[in-house]
Amino acid sequence: MFVLVVGGGRVGYYLTRELIQSGHEVVLMEKDRARATQIADEIGSIVIPHDGCEGKYLAEAGANRADVVAAVTGDDEDNLVICQMAKHHFDVPKTIARVNNPANEALFEHLGVDDQISPTRMILASIEQEIPVRELLHLAALGGEGDLELIEAQIDDRSPAIGRAAQDLGVPNGCSLFAVIRGGVATPVGSDTVLRQGDKVLAIGRRECEAELREQLIGAEIGAPGL
Amino acid sequence: MLAVNGGPTDRQIVRLACDLAKPWKSEIVAVHVVEIDWTLPLDADVAGRSEEAQRVLDFAEAVAEESKYRVQVVLLQARDVGAALVDEASERNADLVVLGLPYRTRFGGDFEIGRTIPYVLKNTQCSVWVVRQAMLEGSP
Repeated sequence: MFVLVVGGGRVGYYLTRELIQSGHEVVLMEKDRARATQIADEIGSIVIPHDGCEGKYLAEAGANRADVVAAVTGDDEDNLVICQMAKHHFDVPKTIARVNNPANEALFEHLGVDDQISPTRMILASIEQEIPVRELLHLAALGGEGDLELIEAQIDDRSPAIGRAAQDLGVPNGCSLFAVIRGGVATPVGSDTVLRQGDKVLAIGRRECEAELREQLIGAEIGAPGL
Repeated sequence: MLAVNGGPTDRQIVRLACDLAKPWKSEIVAVHVVEIDWTLPLDADVAGRSEEAQRVLDFAEAVAEESKYRVQVVLLQARDVGAALVDEASERNADLVVLGLPYRTRFGGDFEIGRTIPYVLKNTQCSVWVVRQAMLEGSP
């Protein structure tokens, strides 16, 4: 596979090295000439010391035959421009962008970037998994029709779902409970599966069902009227 | 191992290598590298179809014949000439790499050495000789 990596920071450098070790053909673009020379000295003559935001340099780097373009600079605007050019000008089958500001994720998705990697979002998700929170945890956006999301709910001692079977819960339409993790073991949720305190429930559902699902599995929000 | 590129020093380095090799019956390999840009895969059929590449190697053979010696010719294609020469010298366990350097100046008059020779000088394990073309009359 021919991969064009744009951005020779730490992410781009290690990504390029790993790809080479995996046997892929890789070219790296880095606009800072000194940094480009340093990388070339370390990993060989696969570095193009030019700005990947410029079409003529993307062409020089072989974007016309790239299977994947990964834009991993520290600048979201640059990453978006690179992916847009790769996708629409060079017909690259797969574009991947590093998204530094999670607020830009929707824009990247809307503009057709195939995959977005947000280190900020990943760290945030990791923190949320470690800290018990009385919220639904968004594990992944599945996209597609209906804007589906993979969601996790932690059943704590205040959950109204404790002791109730799945069929008795008022799971909203467009939402499906599919697995329960109990004692480190994942089992499919059947209609007679009774939820217990400490369970983690995995669900797939549309974004607009979230509030209703939350109420069924976790309970009313802290500080909500009546509590 | 000789690096030939069709430049003005090819004749000089082939003759020099032949004179040097004769008493020892040393093996001479003349290598020509065709650089492939990133718009093409590295294994694209470029060098084999290149009349220019063939002409460069034919010339090296002809000059060696004039010196009553024989050179083996090798045609390579690579992303970078310097890296290809270093790899080839290493694979062949070459004792000496000889490169020619045309006398050229940049706009403004500074001597131009290019990027291949510094790379080979820096990275080749064995000895490296660089044969610089004589200055033309009127050169600084």
